[in-house]
Amino acid sequence: MKKDREVQKPYKLSHQILSLTGINFVRQTVIGYTELTLIPSKDSFRYIWLNCKQCCVYRVTLNDTLEVTFQYFDPFLEVCPQESKQRNLEFLNKSQTTGALSVDPEIGRGELVIIVPSEAQHMIQEGKPLRVGVEFSLEKPQSGLHFVVPSTEGTLGEKAAHCFTYGHENSARLWFPCIDTWSEVCTWRLEFTVDDFMTAVSCGDLQEVVYTQDMRRKTFHYHLTTPTCAPNIALAVGPFEIYVDPFMNEITHFCLPQLLPLMKATSKYLHEAFEFYEELLSTRYPYACYKQVYVDEAYSDLHSYATMSILDVNLLCSNRIIDQVYQTRKTMALCVAQQFFGCFLSRQAWSDAWLTTGIAHYLMSLYVKKHFGFNDYKDWIHHELQEIIEYEERFGGIVLDPSSSPNEPQNGPNVSSGSTHSGSKDTFYFSVKNPHACSPHYIGVYYKKAHLVFNKHLSLALIAVTNKGHPAGWSHMLVSTETFTKAIFTVTGKDITVFCDQWVRQGGHAKFNMKFLFNRKRNIVEMTIEQGYIGELGIRRYVGPLVVWIQELDGTFKHTLQIEHQVSKKEIVCHSKSRRNKKKKIPLCTGEEVDMDLSHLDADSPVLWLRLDPDMTMMRAVEVEQPDNQWQYQLRHERDVTAQTEAINALHRLARLGAVTSEMRNTLNAVLENEQCFYKIRCRSAHCLTQVANAMVANWNGPPAMMQIFRKMFGAFSCPNIIRQHDFTSLQNYYILKTLPVAMAGLRNTHKSCPQEVLGFLMDLFKYSDNSKNRYSDNYYRASLMDALAAAISPAPVQHDPSTITSDTLTENIRRVLTEVTRYLNLEKMLPCYKYTVTASCLHAIRVLQKNGHLPTKSDIFKAYAAYPQYIDVRVSAVEQLVDMLSKDGHREDMDYLLTLAETDPVPRIRYLTLYSLAKNPPFLMGQSHKLDNEHLVERLWNLMNSGQACDSLVRCAVMDLYYAMYGRRRPACIPASEPALVLNLRKPPHPPILPPPVIQIKEEDVVPVVKQEPPSEDPFDPKNEVKIETQSFQ
Amino acid sequence: MAAVPLVTVETPGTVDPRRKTLGAAVAGMLQEAGFTAFEKAALGTLTEMLQSLLSEIGRSTRAYAELAYRTEPVSGDVVMALVDMGISMDGLQAFRSRPNRVVITAPAQTVDMKQHNVLQVGDKKSHPAHIPEHLPSFPDTHTYCFSHTYKQPVTEYEAIREKAAAQKRDIERALTKYSAKTSDTQNLFFTDDKEFLLVSVAPHPKSYLDALMPRDQVFEEEEERKTKKKRRIVNEEGEPIQEKDKLNESQEGELDNPYLRPVKMPRKVKTKK
Repeated sequence: MKKDREVQKPYKLSHQILSLTGINFVRQTVIGYTELTLIPSKDSFRYIWLNCKQCCVYRVTLNDTLEVTFQYFDPFLEVCPQESKQRNLEFLNKSQTTGALSVDPEIGRGELVIIVPSEAQHMIQEGKPLRVGVEFSLEKPQSGLHFVVPSTEGTLGEKAAHCFTYGHENSARLWFPCIDTWSEVCTWRLEFTVDDFMTAVSCGDLQEVVYTQDMRRKTFHYHLTTPTCAPNIALAVGPFEIYVDPFMNEITHFCLPQLLPLMKATSKYLHEAFEFYEELLSTRYPYACYKQVYVDEAYSDLHSYATMSILDVNLLCSNRIIDQVYQTRKTMALCVAQQFFGCFLSRQAWSDAWLTTGIAHYLMSLYVKKHFGFNDYKDWIHHELQEIIEYEERFGGIVLDPSSSPNEPQNGPNVSSGSTHSGSKDTFYFSVKNPHACSPHYIGVYYKKAHLVFNKHLSLALIAVTNKGHPAGWSHMLVSTETFTKAIFTVTGKDITVFCDQWVRQGGHAKFNMKFLFNRKRNIVEMTIEQGYIGELGIRRYVGPLVVWIQELDGTFKHTLQIEHQVSKKEIVCHSKSRRNKKKKIPLCTGEEVDMDLSHLDADSPVLWLRLDPDMTMMRAVEVEQPDNQWQYQLRHERDVTAQTEAINALHRLARLGAVTSEMRNTLNAVLENEQCFYKIRCRSAHCLTQVANAMVANWNGPPAMMQIFRKMFGAFSCPNIIRQHDFTSLQNYYILKTLPVAMAGLRNTHKSCPQEVLGFLMDLFKYSDNSKNRYSDNYYRASLMDALAAAISPAPVQHDPSTITSDTLTENIRRVLTEVTRYLNLEKMLPCYKYTVTASCLHAIRVLQKNGHLPTKSDIFKAYAAYPQYIDVRVSAVEQLVDMLSKDGHREDMDYLLTLAETDPVPRIRYLTLYSLAKNPPFLMGQSHKLDNEHLVERLWNLMNSGQACDSLVRCAVMDLYYAMYGRRRPACIPASEPALVLNLRKPPHPPILPPPVIQIKEEDVVPVVKQEPPSEDPFDPKNEVKIETQSFQ
Repeated sequence: MAAVPLVTVETPGTVDPRRKTLGAAVAGMLQEAGFTAFEKAALGTLTEMLQSLLSEIGRSTRAYAELAYRTEPVSGDVVMALVDMGISMDGLQAFRSRPNRVVITAPAQTVDMKQHNVLQVGDKKSHPAHIPEHLPSFPDTHTYCFSHTYKQPVTEYEAIREKAAAQKRDIERALTKYSAKTSDTQNLFFTDDKEFLLVSVAPHPKSYLDALMPRDQVFEEEEERKTKKKRRIVNEEGEPIQEKDKLNESQEGELDNPYLRPVKMPRKVKTKK
């Protein structure tokens, strides 16, 4: 299929010039010119397809001389035709898929059709370059290019007005006409003329900066000699402060005025990432320079482009901040990794995205492993795996490379994220939401040989660059699944086709349920491994080897079992005789020998615990059934964080069932106190302890759980009830300090309310917290204290009518809580903390108070915080509170407010995040009747995804997610059933399915040299082609 | 001239309460006798007379009692004393039970003036073994050997933390109260509420500046400088030169950076593309 595609294209792009001259911040317009140099691979063709959206195209010329006619059609202006009254997702998805395909650059299609007239045919000759020039302008772009002009006094420079490009996957077409696919690489010349106080940062090497004739503006000339595809081209313009990296001169950082000190502090680790990757891959960084631009109102944390990254300004942090550093360093490491894989080595097609994103994330995770430690790394992998499993079981299996399974429709990248819900059987969800979908299992298998492989790729690519001038050689720079498997075979001699077939080309994961019995007479473990869920969503059958580790008294024994059937019964001989009497240290899998208290163990069995597939070598969900004492041993003594996490999860399950013992409590306490243990495990065991304590509240005696530990760890020496002055130099303790109050606040007494003692304890923490001697900011700690207060709130005993609640009806405890909340929130207005973390938590606490009936539900508070010029984290938190309000006592105004945000908010990220949090926590689920569920809502959502978001496909797909969560794939119940004619419509969709590849048709036409033009509107895909034609602007 | 008060005019200073009562009694009798005003000196004289009469009666009563080998006088002794002084007792009974007599208020209980401790500085030394206990104790140590002239501040950790916390809380409370009163507010309740007012949030066009450069805490920037200095001292031999080189290098690199190069003048013939 892929090869066909390549053949289909009658021309190949070799060079592109992009020149933007009129960038106007006041009117938010851009005037530009672009010229594509095409090398025909045939002697004649009649159409040139370019990708172009929301641009107003004035003129198209061929070889500078011949002005030609063109047509423009964007299927996403209205996904479904106007007259249709259908309101189900299936229909929308079908139309959307067809629409996306009709402009898919991978098959040589686009929105802008340039008709090559017969008099131009002489210009086309195989191998002779043809230059296509396009003059265009952009006016108030809805997406793709974002202008940030704060509404303050002053000049543009003082306002720190800036603009930058962004997009969801391949969206370069939103700001200039191009061939918007990863496989069309070419060299670039870029020119940007901006006001003289601005800097234009773009891809490639900056050749020179020249003043214009009037000396009021200057032009930045960039040259990119490495072949690069259009989606990897970007631009950022603003009055940036420039900082050259002191460690590596080729790195330049850009940020908005006043932020330079922060940027210096943030960027001091960046060179480490470069050094790390260069050493790992043993190649040089492929480009001559690297630029990082921090912009406000960014679309996502990072966007990588050739030689540059556009990052969110909110990644910046000073040396005083702890929590953000991890996030920032990971993001920056990923930026650099994506320079190697993703920008320099691009993918062949959308279906190969798993390779570049996967490798980039893999490299980043290696960096994480080196700098944050193995535990952090492994825990992260485990977490990712769990997320994938959860997702797959809810929505269906993720197929990494869908191109080679022909029965599944090939979706364009713009539809992939949303279409997952809507395809019938073959739902797949590509890694848009979870970009490292492939990384965990990938790592498991390629663990050792990966860097060799990638190294090979890089060197191939470098060779390719050297013989530039011949575009055919550039295909080495594109990675596809096939070339990748070949390369791995040549480098390592291992054939991974089977592996690919199993995990890459098929979706879903295996799910094992394991039970065992110890047979004392024969000294064997009788194990039953069952794959009982086959056929359920996202789960598939696994045949092959499975590793089982049994920890016995004499050590860890590893067994590899062959799984062939749905139910496999295995017998494993135990190595150790049960000899309890000899006091002997027990060896662990790491080679350590530890003392264990074996008194809780079944006297006959030498088995301490069992683990299935401990290294996470495949995509699997594992349910192990073990008695609780074995889980406890696993938690207490196993050194692997994933095993400990699993043990904690098992204890959670047991606590939920009420099967708790005081041994369990002791184990959790011991882990919590154990300084050798990974801090995240300790934090998790604190939360687990909360649940265990709540389950055994009836016979709990002594002080509330964790109180003593807290006093021991953080209490002052002379008076343990007062917390010590903060000192966050020990990070472990810092995280535990943050976690313990929240965990303790979750405790409940027999009346299902938070014990008075704990509440007093929390109040004391508020009172005595003293950060004056600390080297670090305590803003995250204060935010978690606020979260603890929220966690301590239980439902009001007397539910008042909301309008009668006053400050006098509050109980004493709630008054105290509310005093702290208001004090913190008011204080933040004058003394804001880093990223307003405290404000965000306060808003949540207010919502919890409302939800539990202590405060009347009022949305105006949150709306004030969700409004536009507030800080983004605060807005997101406020939006979450509003969303939370909807399901219980939401009014139509609140829903309308949120949808207005999603439709028209100036910050594109907020539009997406609003929809995302609505979809995550929908006001009502399918089939539930709810007062918000009405025709008005359906129409509004439908319009939003049908025609409201022509440019931002991410937002459109997020609406689809929300629609799916509320209505599923069917027609919403509140909409009257469609008329028979339309039902007929459903069976026979207005757009015929994709089957006949459109270009082939044209090819046929090409064979017969027809002189007469045939408008492409007869193309079966573009039934509405006639809508908007010719030289005038369409938005 | 003051109107006859039932209680004698206060003389400043400490007045003997006994005398005060006597004065009141005299004034009462004067009032009964029909006087409406008196001169201070006259009242004083009358009081003096009454006092000497009473004390004479008391003195001879005691003498009679002691003559009869008693320590406590009985009424007979009083009678004897009166007789002795030639005072007739005929009208006494009638005088006692006369109508509308003025009742004299009981003298106010004087508050015990607290005995001020002698300023005690430091601990007094106890006697050495060879000096008996009944001898006077040593004087304060500061009178004959060196001692600090100031009192030790409170060093108890708990108290200090308590105080600091209270202070911090008071400041914060005052600050939030002030701002809640001076700016727009949001209400958590449907009814009007004054207690839990939220300061409403003001739009901030460049919100990232406040968020990324917080003002809630002030940190000293010196630490790093200090460590840098130290490092320089440590590698004194030869190393500092290298550092200089590195600095130069980075400066050169900066000059080399295309973004920092001077902007070129426009070409004479404007070449487009």
